[in-house]
Amino acid sequence: MTELCADIGYYSLNKFGEELCGDQVSVIEQENNSIVVVLADGLGSGVKACILSTLTSKIISTMMAGKMSVEDCVNTVAHTLPVCSIRGVAYSTFTIIRISQALREAEIIQYDNPNVILIRNGKNVEIPATELIIDGKKILKSKISIYENDVFISMSDGATYAGVGKKMNFGWQRDNIAKFMEMMYDIGFTAKTLSTILLEQCNKLYENEPGDDTTVCVLKIRRREPVSLVVGPPSNPDDVKKMMSLFFAKEGKHIVCGGTTSTLAAEYLDKPLVPSLDYHDDEIPPMASIEGVDLVTEGVITINKVLSYAQNYLEDNQSYKEWSYKKDGASKIARMLFEDATDINFYVGMAVNPAHQNPDLPISFNIKMRLVNELSACLRKMGKTINVSYF
Amino acid sequence: MKIKVCIGSSCHLKGSRIVIQTFQNQIEKHNLQDVIQMSGQFCMKNCQNGVCIMIDDKAFSVNPAEADSFFEKEIITRVKVCND
Repeated sequence: MTELCADIGYYSLNKFGEELCGDQVSVIEQENNSIVVVLADGLGSGVKACILSTLTSKIISTMMAGKMSVEDCVNTVAHTLPVCSIRGVAYSTFTIIRISQALREAEIIQYDNPNVILIRNGKNVEIPATELIIDGKKILKSKISIYENDVFISMSDGATYAGVGKKMNFGWQRDNIAKFMEMMYDIGFTAKTLSTILLEQCNKLYENEPGDDTTVCVLKIRRREPVSLVVGPPSNPDDVKKMMSLFFAKEGKHIVCGGTTSTLAAEYLDKPLVPSLDYHDDEIPPMASIEGVDLVTEGVITINKVLSYAQNYLEDNQSYKEWSYKKDGASKIARMLFEDATDINFYVGMAVNPAHQNPDLPISFNIKMRLVNELSACLRKMGKTINVSYF
Repeated sequence: MKIKVCIGSSCHLKGSRIVIQTFQNQIEKHNLQDVIQMSGQFCMKNCQNGVCIMIDDKAFSVNPAEADSFFEKEIITRVKVCND
């Protein structure tokens, strides 16, 4: 499990007043353990730009995944895109990053977007590039080795134009963005959070009225990190030992959720279960501790909160301002699953707790399975490898 | 004297936080920090009758709205008995 993997996060701000975004990001995983990310910025804004960039990103990512050459990709895009009736051109700029985890190298192909920023060891490093002319278009091509904690930032020109004529005369330039992101490097944010922070800064410079579609895609190279989470007692009480032994046999961090489940885990480990009375958040029940377990929390209420954080993470991620520092069980699980983990193993016990069938309670407890299913779906969308075992 | 309050899902929703806070305030008010030891406890298997608490080894159910009067009635009297 020492191999590297790529943590990818992106989000867009729409041009003020537009419902559709003219920038598109497309991510495709290839069989040979590599991943292709395409960021395309369509000419203009609104529907037309959206169609151009969607076509561009999908065509390129699909063709790259099919191992076609860059020349072929660019030719196809140039000949496929509908020509704009006003401007007489078909046009979408793009950035392609292909990470090969096995070869530990990145291939970057850029056409007219702001150049990709690479932050390595906390410092902005220029990426050497060769120039190609394909179909009359100047294309930059680079191939470099990747190292753990490398952060690649690709963006549409909306990011570098942020603040033009408002907070700044000429917008903030690529160098300013690189400096800004250097400051964020050390803190261990996820790719998604880094992209959110940069976009938020752009939005601030635009005074909340972006003059252009603005997209940031961050790709962070990291080591694989497994985390296992057990929730609920098994439906057959005889399976407790089997479930716990499988759970604790997994390498990496361990999270135990649920009152009964933590009691069972404590019994299995033959260690005391020590509940705390500290309410770090009024909504979330307090945590407990068991020697040998990284985190012990209450079950459904906590996981329900984690799910809402996960859903927001996939959108504008504004709730990272809560979960990234708070000390309650849900925030701690969110940090471990969203930030630390790359591979997550869920052990779900399907026993029904009779007390949870009480219709007076404000939330239905039949939702345990649904919570886990939805949470795994969200985590998969975050690019994590998920395994779920039911007992 | 040991008081354990259930902080499991069901009791949490029924208001164990309020019970804990009320008890902690009462303990301070009556200066019983040295006499009463409060702790949390996961599910006591009596969720239908939450909020569940244990005073030493005896189980009780507390309605959060009546936590103050419960404290005066059940706990203060017990403390006095112990002291006498």
